[in-house]
Amino acid sequence: MRMLIQLIITGLALGGVYSLISMGYSLIYKASGLMTFAQGDILTVGAFLGLTFYRFLKLPYIVALLLTMAVAFIIGFLLEKGVIRKLLNKNVNAIYIVLATIAVSYIFQNGAQAIWSSKVEYFPSVFSTDSVAVLGVNVQPESLLCIGASMICMILLHFFMTKTRIGTSMRAAAMDSMAAESCGINVSLNTGITWGIAAGIAAIGGIFIGPMYGVYVTLGSKLGTKGFAGAVMGGYGNMYGAMVGGLLLGLLETLVAGYISSELRNLFAYIILIIFLFVKPTGIFNEQAIQDV
Amino acid sequence: MKNKKLSGNLLKCLVAVVVALLVPVLLGGSSYMCLVACFVTIYTISASGLDVLYGYSGQISMGHAAFYAIGGYGAGLLSEYLGIPLFISMFIAAAIAALIGALLAFPASKLKFHFLSLATIAFGEIIYQIVTNSPGRITGNYNGFFHSKLDIFGLKLDNNIKFYYFGLVCVVLFLIAKTMIVRSRTGRAFIAIRENTQAAEGMGVNVRKYKIIAFAVSAFFVAFAGSMYLGLVGYLHPDMYLQKQSVLFVTMMLFGGSASLAGPIIGAISIEILLEGLRTFEEYQMLIYGILLLIVIVAMPGGIVGAVKNIKAGILRRRAQKLDKEV
Repeated sequence: MRMLIQLIITGLALGGVYSLISMGYSLIYKASGLMTFAQGDILTVGAFLGLTFYRFLKLPYIVALLLTMAVAFIIGFLLEKGVIRKLLNKNVNAIYIVLATIAVSYIFQNGAQAIWSSKVEYFPSVFSTDSVAVLGVNVQPESLLCIGASMICMILLHFFMTKTRIGTSMRAAAMDSMAAESCGINVSLNTGITWGIAAGIAAIGGIFIGPMYGVYVTLGSKLGTKGFAGAVMGGYGNMYGAMVGGLLLGLLETLVAGYISSELRNLFAYIILIIFLFVKPTGIFNEQAIQDV
Repeated sequence: MKNKKLSGNLLKCLVAVVVALLVPVLLGGSSYMCLVACFVTIYTISASGLDVLYGYSGQISMGHAAFYAIGGYGAGLLSEYLGIPLFISMFIAAAIAALIGALLAFPASKLKFHFLSLATIAFGEIIYQIVTNSPGRITGNYNGFFHSKLDIFGLKLDNNIKFYYFGLVCVVLFLIAKTMIVRSRTGRAFIAIRENTQAAEGMGVNVRKYKIIAFAVSAFFVAFAGSMYLGLVGYLHPDMYLQKQSVLFVTMMLFGGSASLAGPIIGAISIEILLEGLRTFEEYQMLIYGILLLIVIVAMPGGIVGAVKNIKAGILRRRAQKLDKEV
């Protein structure tokens, strides 16, 4: 029982990070019908940025968090404006956009290695205590922070998308770009903001996972690829599906690693991904967007 | 006219073959340079195989490193445990890969572009995980897999120049096979599917069947190339089969220009030389490679063949304008 609680908490913490990545995938897919492969490596960059602000510059945790988010937002926004929009204007085949995001992910991953280091950097703990007791089990307080903060991100994102002016126009632009344009919505700006937000939430995922796993160059690329499993499981393009899918993926993966074999851990996520694609490509939330690519 | 064009193409091919035959002489017999040339032959076959899938039938795969692995490990394991000579097991492994490709394509054929790439990525990762955690450690897991180099019925290909000529023969054979496939009824069906899947289906093309064939053919090509790698180097490491490798195949195919005979060859030569040249930058190799890749994608989507076509079209247009003015 103790082991189960322990696994559920670590699983949810990991799942929270997956959710953040998957939500980025879904937002981008909804807004521009594209798939990005740079999301995972933006998480790495975010983790390193957070590390720099928090450990090297000794800024308060919350300031480091906000700064990282802002920098990542700018990175995502520029990525859309500088690369994706240029390619879309040239009317190229979708494969070039996929390849461009992969090239960007190489640049982020190897740039991070060049700027910081190729070692595993330790991320200083956020709280003064090493462990807190939950239901009689000692857990790392950072994993609770990760669960809580990713939940808060999801709720904030939900309100942002449904209650604010920018969020509403983003949804309108995603639904029908031409109609939105004729209503006076700046679709190009909105797509840029969407990519920025996707990058921002991936980057804070990096900060949350840092204290638990350490920060290293290939941290994000694995998470990024597995995040696709979460997004597809929930229904690709559905924001709420991505949240549920990501949490579920983290939970199931940790349970498989705990009870069956830790070697199956990575295999499991990809098997889930391929099974969902073949059997139920619309995911749990039955998102239909997947049909009309 | 058609005859003239045909003989022109034939002439180009002959010139290419003659130049290719002279490569070891031009490189001064340097063993390292010849090794690079051997890799070029291997990558040409892989990129051409992927071209059948993407360039002609319009399906994307971001996981062809899996077939590369199946070819390499398959050929190695068959000859190690069943005692089949490596040269024969190369073909068996490629056939197995084609079968696996067909099995994968059966459910995957209904997926559209992005989701097909996700499915193939997942497939690639699954194969990678199996190779690193094989049952009974038959693949040597992270230690890698050792095997003696290729010999063809007693003819030992023990140096890179010999292997290069073997690779060249393979390239010519595979390219002839590719040309025959894409010019046949099957190839026309591929192109119809690429241009418009619904219309092709309406015209009575069995879309799923031809998508499966395209997958199987490209898996055969790539797996054979993978087994050639084993024959050349005699050692396999699982990290060669990461997703990076699949992206490399796609890059080579696109850089040269897809849906052409020369494209994958040009792509394989230029990317391989580029990567070898960037080796001097050590840990910055991939960073510079990423930046160059991004610049090329943004500056000239369509690859080298596409860029040459554009330039040709530009010259023709200018000539036409001149003529217009003169008239």
